Amino acid sequence: MSNKPRVAVFDFACCEGCQLQIVNLEEEILDLIGAVDVVEWREAMSEQSSNYDVAIIEGSITRPEDEERLWLIRSRAKVLIALGACATIGGINKLKNNFDLRDVKKWVYGKDAEKPHLNTELTRSVAQVVKVDYLIHGCPIDRKEFTYIMRCILTGKKPEIPEWPVCVECKLKDNRCLWETGQTCLGPIIRAGCGARCPSSGFRCFGCRGYVNNPNINAAKDVIERYGLDVEVLKRKMNLFGSGNTQVTANG
Amino acid sequence: MSIKKITKQAFANFIDNLIKTATVYGVQPKGERFDFAPLASAKDLRLDYDVTLLPPKRFFQPTTETLLTFDGEGRYKSNFDNENFILLGVHPYDMVAINQMDKIFSKDYYDEHYMKRRNNATIIACDVLTPSENVFAASMGMATVSEGFDILLTDIGDGYVAEAGTEKGNALLAKAETTDANEKDLEKRQKLQQDNQKNLNKHKLKCKPSDIPNLLERAYKHPVWEEKAKTCFSCGSCNTVCPTCYCFNVQDSFNWDLKSGKRQRTWDGCLLDGFTKVAGEHEFRSNRADRFRHRFYRKGKYVPEKLNGQISCVGCGRCVGACLPDIANPVKVFNRLVDDLGLL
Ligand code: SF4
Ligand code: SF4
Ligand code: SF4
Ligand code: SF4
Ligand code: SF4
Repeated sequence: MSNKPRVAVFDFACCEGCQLQIVNLEEEILDLIGAVDVVEWREAMSEQSSNYDVAIIEGSITRPEDEERLWLIRSRAKVLIALGACATIGGINKLKNNFDLRDVKKWVYGKDAEKPHLNTELTRSVAQVVKVDYLIHGCPIDRKEFTYIMRCILTGKKPEIPEWPVCVECKLKDNRCLWETGQTCLGPIIRAGCGARCPSSGFRCFGCRGYVNNPNINAAKDVIERYGLDVEVLKRKMNLFGSGNTQVTANG
Repeated sequence: MSIKKITKQAFANFIDNLIKTATVYGVQPKGERFDFAPLASAKDLRLDYDVTLLPPKRFFQPTTETLLTFDGEGRYKSNFDNENFILLGVHPYDMVAINQMDKIFSKDYYDEHYMKRRNNATIIACDVLTPSENVFAASMGMATVSEGFDILLTDIGDGYVAEAGTEKGNALLAKAETTDANEKDLEKRQKLQQDNQKNLNKHKLKCKPSDIPNLLERAYKHPVWEEKAKTCFSCGSCNTVCPTCYCFNVQDSFNWDLKSGKRQRTWDGCLLDGFTKVAGEHEFRSNRADRFRHRFYRKGKYVPEKLNGQISCVGCGRCVGACLPDIANPVKVFNRLVDDLGLL
């Protein structure tokens, strides 16, 4: 057996888009596979293992059995990484927390809604359930940031994840601010690191990387009013990724 | 140094010839705004622009640059940009800012990465034709410029007055078809410059720029910092768009062999959360209002102390437009202090 760290990848409620980003790493996937031993990864191999050092968790927690499984993984892993918005902040799955769960089940499953295996709870991020060591933000994650954080973990160096908002990267890209065009961009309160992916292609930031550490919500309300918009509009926009968006602290 | 006149047609020919042999970054439209970008033809150039999105400082201090690479065995290699280039269309206030940054990056510590690029650059400046929405360079005494450029162009209608400021500029100008500027041309230029010294003033400072350091000396505990910072996002936009903000953050990263890697620096900003984080995670300016105040002290007191008293805000107005809650405007803050504290 080699002494490379043993890595396992697990998914919960999600679209598996972030795992796909890893699969699509192209040449870097070989570097990654060379530096670690992948012992379980449903998307890429059939083996399973209960012996691993690093657990990468994709997806959010929506069922009681998820929570148990996550606790088990946590107890086995030395390092636990939350991968992607679903895992870091609950992601798009958190939308349903804005509604009555019985209604949600009916909309999604129709007449099967009450079947026991379709039981669902309020959506929680991985960090709301267990201690998370590193957060890899984004929906989907940024491949460069993922490999950077992996190399930091492997070298024992603390990854530097931006604490500042998307506006910084947006300005560095020499973009015109979307507020000038009437779009309510969430950039000023959302954590950078994506390279201002959305505003750089003309779309407002919808907050997939979660809030910065100290988002100034008062300032957001102030700006909304200055631009003659309704605070309710902002609230609705935040609902996509921000509802119940908790402040999580982790090394990442 | 000579002062020439060049017709618009001769100027276009001159630029189109330049492009064939040199890298030229000229001001061009970007959506509804303007930006320095690689110039492919003189007809794309817009010397009547109001203000560029980012200031030209990124040509000397790139948003991200690799300072050195290391092999993990104790050997490292410094990384420099050696390309010669021409920056075409720099406004006077931005030229003043570049002059200030040249001092900052060469005085106490000679920053070879910055200075290499700076020395590789030829700067063709131009007087402002269209004032931007928020420019107040006139209030700062920086609506026109007399040094730093290699060539200064002034549009006088039927052509440009072109003044060489350096030997490099002189030699470059010799490649163009010019005549000596006559009395009338120079009068027109003087008129435009005098107008700019009055008109580039959308926000009017109630004091002389030289009053600012003393004003700030008495303003450290003034309520304005706390009041304004209440709606500050700490987004750093007032830093990132500013031609005289030069803070950077240095970061090492490893390659996949987990021992070799590179050291990079990226723009940083004093308004950003985490900006003052030093070793040991101790943050000594973690309060939003403290960080907000710090920027005004940088522009109006600390940096001027390194620049023989010159205020380090050139009045480009970029921060005014970039700040969504509209709290970054230096004129509003300084005027408020003048009102409350008076001038000594
Ligand atoms: S974060 Fe986005 S891309 Fe990643 S798994 Fe969740 S929904 Fe899919
Ligand atoms: S477009 Fe969005 S991210 Fe970019 S500067 Fe404006 S608010 Fe910030
Ligand atoms: S710009 Fe906003 S929504 Fe888009 S990727 Fe970045 S954080 Fe996510
Ligand atoms: S003053 Fe304005 S631009 Fe500067 S950090 Fe605060 S909100 Fe952003
Ligand atoms: S402080 Fe504002 S107006 Fe002054 S130079 Fe900087 S960006 Fe321009």
